[in-house]
Amino acid sequence: MRTPFLHLLPIVCLLGALVSGSPNAQEPTPAPAPDAAPPAPATAPDAAPEPEAAPAPRPNRRPRRPAMVIEAGTLHPVAGPAIADGVVVIRGERIVAIGKRGEVEVPPNAVVRSFPTGHVYPGLVDAATDAFTDASVRSDGGLDAADALADVLQRRHDREDELARVGITTAYVTAASPSLLGGQGAIVRPTKDGFELWQGHERAAVQLRLTGGPNPGHPLQRQQQYDAANALFEGLDEYRKARTDHAEALTKYQKEFDEYLTWHRNKNKKDGDKPADKDAKAEAQPAAPATEPPQPAGPPEGGRRRRGGGPPRDGAAEPAAGEVEAALAALFGAAPQDQPKQDPPAGKPAPAPAGQGPEGQGDAAKKPADDKKDAGPKRPTYPKAPPPNPQKDVLLRVIDGELPLRVEAHRADELRAALQLQDERRIPVMVLERAYAAGRVADRLAERGIAAVLTDVLPASLPKAYEDFDATTLPAHLQRAGVAFAIASGSGRRAGVLPLMAATAIGGGLAEEAALRAITLTPAEILGVAADTGSLAVGKYGDVLVCDRPLFQSDSRVLLVLGKGRAEFEAN
Amino acid sequence: MRRLPPRAVLGPALLAALSATCGLARAQDVLLGARRIVVAADSVLDDGRVLIRQGKVAYVGSDIPAEARARARRVDYGDATVVPGFVLAAATLGQERDLAERALPFTPDLRAAEAFDPWHEDLLALPQYGVTSLALAPAPGNVAGGLAALVKTGRDRGTVGADLFVSLSLVPAARDQERPPTSLMGAVELLRSACDAARTGAATGPDAAVLRQAMQGTRSVFVYADNFAELNAALDLARDFGLRLVLVGAADAGKVLPRLAQQQVGVVLDSLGPEARLEQLQLPTRLAEAGVAFCFAGRPAQLRLSAALAVHHGLDRKTALQALTRVPAALLDQAATIGSLRQGCAADFVVFAGDPLDLGSAWVATWVDGELVHGTSPAASPGPQPAAEPAADAGVR
Repeated sequence: MRTPFLHLLPIVCLLGALVSGSPNAQEPTPAPAPDAAPPAPATAPDAAPEPEAAPAPRPNRRPRRPAMVIEAGTLHPVAGPAIADGVVVIRGERIVAIGKRGEVEVPPNAVVRSFPTGHVYPGLVDAATDAFTDASVRSDGGLDAADALADVLQRRHDREDELARVGITTAYVTAASPSLLGGQGAIVRPTKDGFELWQGHERAAVQLRLTGGPNPGHPLQRQQQYDAANALFEGLDEYRKARTDHAEALTKYQKEFDEYLTWHRNKNKKDGDKPADKDAKAEAQPAAPATEPPQPAGPPEGGRRRRGGGPPRDGAAEPAAGEVEAALAALFGAAPQDQPKQDPPAGKPAPAPAGQGPEGQGDAAKKPADDKKDAGPKRPTYPKAPPPNPQKDVLLRVIDGELPLRVEAHRADELRAALQLQDERRIPVMVLERAYAAGRVADRLAERGIAAVLTDVLPASLPKAYEDFDATTLPAHLQRAGVAFAIASGSGRRAGVLPLMAATAIGGGLAEEAALRAITLTPAEILGVAADTGSLAVGKYGDVLVCDRPLFQSDSRVLLVLGKGRAEFEAN
Repeated sequence: MRRLPPRAVLGPALLAALSATCGLARAQDVLLGARRIVVAADSVLDDGRVLIRQGKVAYVGSDIPAEARARARRVDYGDATVVPGFVLAAATLGQERDLAERALPFTPDLRAAEAFDPWHEDLLALPQYGVTSLALAPAPGNVAGGLAALVKTGRDRGTVGADLFVSLSLVPAARDQERPPTSLMGAVELLRSACDAARTGAATGPDAAVLRQAMQGTRSVFVYADNFAELNAALDLARDFGLRLVLVGAADAGKVLPRLAQQQVGVVLDSLGPEARLEQLQLPTRLAEAGVAFCFAGRPAQLRLSAALAVHHGLDRKTALQALTRVPAALLDQAATIGSLRQGCAADFVVFAGDPLDLGSAWVATWVDGELVHGTSPAASPGPQPAAEPAADAGVR
């Protein structure tokens, strides 16, 4: 009789051992994140010493990165005048001090990198590039406003885009798509291995193309293009109203449903602690309401691009009806009035749950169910949501000024069309791209505060159809007119010549300080990241570019590139 | 009315004519001054002076006689930099249709000078890109295109000069036509048999005469060739027939570097663009390291950009400037007259606000044969100059 138990004994012991050891096995020590350096206090280069009472080692914590000090012959902070014999102190990800050598306190144990004849600049900001996109995306004519490029960027594709090694530490990636809407561009931070998305700026702007390119086009074609762009913004008010009404209806629904639950909870208490049939409770699976199952928010699995613009705009998390029903079932077990149903037809009795039919009930239970139902509040109807339209969601964000609209427009008439679109649709933030004829509408751009992103600022870089435009003198023209502008590579292939583009603008009459600003601080401002990058200032990221000679000289060599204080490139 | 005796009339007239002549002579002398004058890539005058007489460089630096210095019209560009005018070693100026006899594959005796248009708009636009001289070359549309011509730009019109090299072509444009040869093999065979015939005397006529000049070394041979096979074929041809070879295009020159250096072949590179592949951008540096003479050509508007990009990718400034000036002049056998500002050379120069290889240096002016043809001239002060003029310039570096 005991033999079977003896056979089972080793198995039981083994199971016991597994169970006792399982916590450690199931909860491995989390590896430290590669970028998980603890943030350092921005204003305290010398961190306060650890309290003596707490010397316990924390083996799982990554050792703190020592402060880095960059000493250079000339420091170009951009936000201020150049500093001879300058010093930048970086702790963790951010700059904690900057100034002249001897006037800045260097933390003990800091790593000092000295470049006695070098020039130090903030990391460059490329306001428009197609880096990290492959040919299929660049030629995709089917993009719309809801398409997010952040979802299709690739570290390695049909060409090598090494932005970090040329000093670019921030870049806005867009695809020069031939479609009217070119999706939402992303801000990335190039690294030595590729890039990382800038959290919170994965969807940084919406691209609109209002040009036919250098090919000659009839004015009617351009008019049609404008009409098509204008039509994109049709019906946004109605859509917004439908969304608002739905949100209000949801709020009302939630309130009524809470009342409904409360009433039944109280009623249950009054009825006494009637033991619920556990089996019935377990079997009472919540069912989605028949009328309007809410749509799950989130990306489709395996989808190429994520559509929609992230969470619902109004920020109200829509209650999942299934969860509500589950709560309901858990609360009331198999009570007849708690059947997962919605708005049964008037006069039709609710179907009885399993095991609680009339034949199984006592005398008290033989009362008609309608009596009980009429005694409490009526269960509310889940409001019907308007059909989702991710593109309209994104365009509403544009109208609300949450997302800039970046319009590619080359010729003067195309630029005027962009301005007309802004007027007509009251677009708060507009940025013009490849605005070769911007000089002809410079006054209007300055008046409205519209910024321009200039690419092709090189000699003879425009196609023959655009030979009337002088891309090299345009920056100086815009500067005189008071238009904010950035100089951008426009292409991952051109990343290395970004400083040469700025130099070309200098040759076209732009001041050297303005040229440096056009590839650092101004693009950071246009991209909305100037609080973190674009200049060498305390509190900003430690994005630093070190060259062996002035950046705008053709033979200037990159010696060191830091992104958030980490070395992304270092010359041998 | 009383008539003056003939002698009384003749005397003042002669005096007036002599005075006018002297004044004209003085006006023709120009004393060019600038903070930096690049006489040649390896010879730079700091705060230098150059005396220009009758369109040529008469004296440089401390060699300028005090008297000539005092009498010359001064043109001082202040802090600017003066460099020799850029030379395009091979250009068609958008005249490809007129610079290739497409019906015939072998026309080495045709002269590009015959198709020269002095008022061609592309020609008149060249000074703003710093180009003062070029070789108007037959287009690569047939295997033996003809003879290139030396062309100089000008204010209102260009001028054509001597015949230069003979132009051959092995690129697809020369053989992708509805007439033989239709293949690289056929093109090479055509050239070999023609050279053989010219060498043995089996062939006579102007085309054979041109080939004989090439084989005797009195006329250089420019061959359009890009890929490895074309380059190898051209090098074989040069080796077998003793040609002074210059390769035009030569995109794959990096694959035949040892042969280029061994055979002392020159290379005319196409212009570099910002989207060029890295190996293209680094090719000038590799050529320089291998000791191969090269220059830039292609789109005139991108000539300076090409040099700047090459510098950006490792080429030293001196070699880059030579690739725009002295080397193309030497490849055209014209180094004695163009490509530098040495004594006796044409006074072709370009003025930049700073170093021409920095794109931040604005182009200011272009002079050809001692005359301003494009850009701005500083306020010139007429001579004579006071004696306080410095006796000598800073030394030549």
